[in-house]
Amino acid sequence: MTAAPMTTGARIEVRDLTKTFGSFTAVDQLSFHVEPGRITGFLGPNGAGKTTTLRMLLGLIHPTSGSATIDGQNYRDLDHPSSVVGSALEATNFHPGRTGRDHLRVLAAAGGLRDSRVDELLELTGIPAAARKRAGEYSMGMRQRLGLAAALLGDPRVLILDEPANGLDPEGIRWLRGFLRHLSNEGKTILVSSHLLQEVEATVDDVVIIANGRMVKSGAMSDLHGSPSTIVRTSNPDQLAGALRVADVMSSPGTDGELIAETTDKRLVGDVALRAGLPIWELRDRKADLEALFFELTEGTNRNLGDGASPVESDAISGLEGANE
Amino acid sequence: MGSAIKSEFRKFFTTRLWWGMAIGIFVAGAVFAGFFGWALTSENGNTGGGPQLEGTATQVVNSVYTAGLGVGYLLLLTVGIMQIGSEYRHKTITATLLSTPKRVQAMLAKIIALLGIGGVYGLISLLGSVSVGAIVLTLRDIDPFPSTEVLRTLALSLLALGLWALIGLGVGILIPNQVAAILVGVGVAWIIEPLLSFGLAFVEWAAKIVPYFPSNATNSMVSGVTAQGQDVDFLPWWGGALVLGAYAVALSVFGTWRTSRQDIS
Repeated sequence: MTAAPMTTGARIEVRDLTKTFGSFTAVDQLSFHVEPGRITGFLGPNGAGKTTTLRMLLGLIHPTSGSATIDGQNYRDLDHPSSVVGSALEATNFHPGRTGRDHLRVLAAAGGLRDSRVDELLELTGIPAAARKRAGEYSMGMRQRLGLAAALLGDPRVLILDEPANGLDPEGIRWLRGFLRHLSNEGKTILVSSHLLQEVEATVDDVVIIANGRMVKSGAMSDLHGSPSTIVRTSNPDQLAGALRVADVMSSPGTDGELIAETTDKRLVGDVALRAGLPIWELRDRKADLEALFFELTEGTNRNLGDGASPVESDAISGLEGANE
Repeated sequence: MGSAIKSEFRKFFTTRLWWGMAIGIFVAGAVFAGFFGWALTSENGNTGGGPQLEGTATQVVNSVYTAGLGVGYLLLLTVGIMQIGSEYRHKTITATLLSTPKRVQAMLAKIIALLGIGGVYGLISLLGSVSVGAIVLTLRDIDPFPSTEVLRTLALSLLALGLWALIGLGVGILIPNQVAAILVGVGVAWIIEPLLSFGLAFVEWAAKIVPYFPSNATNSMVSGVTAQGQDVDFLPWWGGALVLGAYAVALSVFGTWRTSRQDIS
């Protein structure tokens, strides 16, 4: 919406990142990058290694090998980290006896920021009154908003959010979606992790999907969806396919006598069928369901469930990813 | 660096812990000073079965003003443990290390802040103990400020509290479970150490190490009266300060080293 980006984001680059805990490999040779001005979804089932990856990117966990940099620098080497990267990792990391406002004041002091930023951010995230209560009394939604306020305190160029939609009501999720879109339009780099695909499906531009610590798929959301097409059902699919080919529309048989035409022009499909004298029983858009794709990509590989995972490994994972539950 | 220190002070003064501790340490200072001011100046004949105490006028005054120090340093030990332990417990250590990712710097900020906090509590404690102690001594016709050595003792008691907070910081990192750390820390300093001191004093070779225990080093720093008949030679005030300082340095260096290598998950 803004014509000229007000801030320039920074590129996140993860290269061959690996972390082992004993004999357990939490993150395995992971490489991806995140571009400025776009919202990137970091997806994977619980225990896939998302949180471990983000914590390595933020200098909290030492990688076994590989690198994770922001604008070419390690997080730990940043002189003013809060103005480069803002992050919200867990919705639980507040001292229950400290007010939300004081929590932000503690962080503002550490980042060398003026205190007036604290009240600005509380306005922006819509919790100015509630933030004067002790954090122990907060609902999950409040905690998420306070975490977001903390992340944005230094007006960072990069925003990293771990499961930000957890515990938000539908209204909150819509608010978050608009908020992130607004920030990305300012040119910020935004990385959002989630184990629930539909949460981010409408929000993100790019996705990075991991399972068992390994890369499964990455790229633009539109590429994952595949080219848009139309599903048509008729009495004789082969005949309709021939008629469509004449009209320069390629098609392929789907399941249950469906025909998938590679066009979004339903009117054209209807006209062709009419000319060919074929009845139309069904005609609708075919949107590659990302959720189906997600399950397909990560199916049967969840090391947290079922076979193969020793109890020791499960413990290691639940320790690392417990915050997601 | 300055901003990280400011952040540590804000952390401490934005929870209810600080004024609870402040009241505790003030009351301890006042009550113990009042009691010792009365007891140490009573006729020797009235003291009943307890060990006879002896000391110069300065030592008596020192003892009165620092009588609450024993409670004070246990409280500061707890403060030190909680400055890191509550960060582990409530996972705010993540936010701390995200704002100050250079971990040595983050720990140094805690160390400096804890020395400052120790000093502030020391002043609160002295406010209680010197006011009440001086009144009681005056009522007993004893000069409440017999020598400038008293001032040295008061200054050293501030230092002692700061150093105990650093010992707490190290204990808090060594034992990441905050409740366990407080139980172990206070238990060792308050129960095990005095018992060991008492027991080892009867063993000739072991008696030599007794003065180097942290609580005994603290007591020798403030050079109060000593119990009669003990075969233990306590350290001079500067020796006590060096020994306690060594504990504080060792534990906070260990804590910094350990934190710089930790994975925070």
